[in-house]
Amino acid sequence: MKKNLKKMLCLAMAAVMTMGATACGSSSSSDGTQAAAPAETAKESESAAPASGDVKVIKLFHRFPDDPCNTFIEEKLAEYESLHPDIKFEVTSAQNQPYKEKIKVVVGSDECPDIFFSFCGEFSERFIREGLLLDLTPYLEADPEWKDSLMETQMVEYTTADGMVYGIPFRLDAKEFFYNVDMFNELGLEVPETWDQFIEVLDKIQEAGIVPIAEGNQDKWPACHYIGALNEQLVPDEVRASDYNVMTGEFTDPGYVEALEKYQQLVSYMNMGVNGMTHDMARLGFTQGQNAILFAELVEITNVKQENPDLNWGMFKFPVIEGAKGNPDLVSGAPEGFAVSSKTQYPDECVEFLKWFLGPEVGAQQAEQVGWFNASIGVDEGLEDPSLISAYEVIKNAKKMDIWFDNALYSTVCDEYLTQISDVTNGDITPAEAMEKIQKVAEEAKTLAQ
Amino acid sequence: MKKKTKLTPYLYVIPGLLMVLGFVYIPIIVNLVYSFFRLSSYSSSMKFVGLDNFRRLFTNDTFPIMIRNNVYYCVISLIVQVGFGTFLALLLESRLVGERFKSICRNIYFIPSLVSLTAVGLMFNFIYNPQLGMLNAFLKQVGLANLQQTWLGDKNLAIFCIIAMSQWQFTGYITLLMVVAFQNVSTDYIEAAIIDGAGPVKRALSIVLPLAKEQLLVCSIITVIGAFKLFTEVYSTTVGGPGNSSQVLGLFLYQNAFLHDDMGMAAATGVLIFIITVTASIFQLKISHSGEI
Repeated sequence: MKKNLKKMLCLAMAAVMTMGATACGSSSSSDGTQAAAPAETAKESESAAPASGDVKVIKLFHRFPDDPCNTFIEEKLAEYESLHPDIKFEVTSAQNQPYKEKIKVVVGSDECPDIFFSFCGEFSERFIREGLLLDLTPYLEADPEWKDSLMETQMVEYTTADGMVYGIPFRLDAKEFFYNVDMFNELGLEVPETWDQFIEVLDKIQEAGIVPIAEGNQDKWPACHYIGALNEQLVPDEVRASDYNVMTGEFTDPGYVEALEKYQQLVSYMNMGVNGMTHDMARLGFTQGQNAILFAELVEITNVKQENPDLNWGMFKFPVIEGAKGNPDLVSGAPEGFAVSSKTQYPDECVEFLKWFLGPEVGAQQAEQVGWFNASIGVDEGLEDPSLISAYEVIKNAKKMDIWFDNALYSTVCDEYLTQISDVTNGDITPAEAMEKIQKVAEEAKTLAQ
Repeated sequence: MKKKTKLTPYLYVIPGLLMVLGFVYIPIIVNLVYSFFRLSSYSSSMKFVGLDNFRRLFTNDTFPIMIRNNVYYCVISLIVQVGFGTFLALLLESRLVGERFKSICRNIYFIPSLVSLTAVGLMFNFIYNPQLGMLNAFLKQVGLANLQQTWLGDKNLAIFCIIAMSQWQFTGYITLLMVVAFQNVSTDYIEAAIIDGAGPVKRALSIVLPLAKEQLLVCSIITVIGAFKLFTEVYSTTVGGPGNSSQVLGLFLYQNAFLHDDMGMAAATGVLIFIITVTASIFQLKISHSGEI
């Protein structure tokens, strides 16, 4: 009897231990309640509200818990609440990666926030396929003034192929090469415009005993932005559009292999252990003057300035590969913005708020305080900071944006692509082999996405 | 009257039973059911796909890598955490070590396991950093610069770097569990053994260890289960990279559930982990002859 009891105890323990793993897969609702816990308190105050008048509680979920942005958002919400006594916000936030997971869980549930951050492209479009996002098109049509105040090139990214607008940008972003101006001057280097010039510049920096490019790819996504930019130039637009679509993805164009080869060429100019450190760590190499060049997002300007305010640096566009079949005019990057849930009780109030929050007035303050731009035309007017002004120029002059590579692809294809890029970075696999593996996963993805 | 007394004990058991059912057994069954479907967390539609999730799991290129990594973790943890941890506990409980020193050591060994896994992951990210990291700097200082590595960035080393991190963290935990078990061994036996002329090694092997067998068994079961549930350590450092070289079952499950919106595949992975851990536990119970002395 005693023996049996002990056996059972041990087994029960085994079962409990395993639960940690299995429950994760089975009951999505358990995670949902966790993410929605603050939302529940919102519900309570909602039920208490009728006694104190008609307070409308709007739940907002964003992914900017770090300062200065978090404080900025909180201040603006408080300001809006004081202007509109009938509106009350319940705000929750999470870091980027957990945010992506949590929003997927809550968005389908009854606890869905009214307004939430959502990346454009496939990330949001999967919600649209389930009918979870509010169509903003009628609101924009009804208010032409509002519609005209938003940058066309950015709004396109938040529009589906059949013309439904589902989000309004909160911050605009693009990827550029940041370079150390002092180092370039010392070595007598010019800003490269073509790929050949770029390689020449890199060679000269290396000859001077400096590691030219700072890069950290431990999280697997940073390096894929090189590939995104190279694919833009090496693969024709139509082919890319068809391949990035999960239902028609083939990835057989030789341009893809060439892009990986070009990237491999760049790796030889990067710091050691690219896969062994994070992008943020690698950025320190650039800001502390150990490396001459960093491929970075415009939103990182704030970080660069924080890490070394005295650094004399500038930006240049991804060099043009001459004679390539792709489109050299594209700018890699995408706006990030807010969407409204189709289940919200207060669609009009939500849209009214976004009109203000993502409009020119708040946008100008945001540019000044946070260093990020929203899509309203003219938010740069009061700017004095030269690096922010040139950053805004990049976006303003972009004829067409090309959405982030890792946002454009279906998740399993993206994961495989990132994995292969990581192996190519280490030299564990050839570009041609890598593309073969990606083709295989792209084939399988067609059956998954149905 | 008689009936009532028979009913009462069951009433006491019911709340516990319901909780175990609700939080353990029902989810396991639901998980098994989900593994035959294709579904995501936000979509209401479920599509029956039979054993397709399992087929995709077993034919996945990463599958052998994951199993290999989990087994590495399991074997190394058994040797270092359970083996070396028990050895440390024996040393601490032997008469070689003074009382004060004993308790200081116990605390020092135990402290790492109190630190949150994510914080440890972050810390080791710094230690392993190829350019700024402590490990490479240390190797350079002691004149072993040729041993410098990219650590987490090297596909042959990444998983071992992660395993090493866990050993650092959890060996002290097992040591503490074993110390407690050794303290429960009656001093009568030990004194009798001393009178019979048994030396410290003989006492440890023939008296202390056999009497603490049940605890040793629990420790090894926890370790094996932990090895196959491995997640946070990898998630907070390499996220499976470089390439897929440090991918493990737990992370694969998580990525399928929340990155690829493939809850069915995640559930299938969960079922596999469950089968592995339960089998391993039963196996260990069998070979240890639990309950017998």
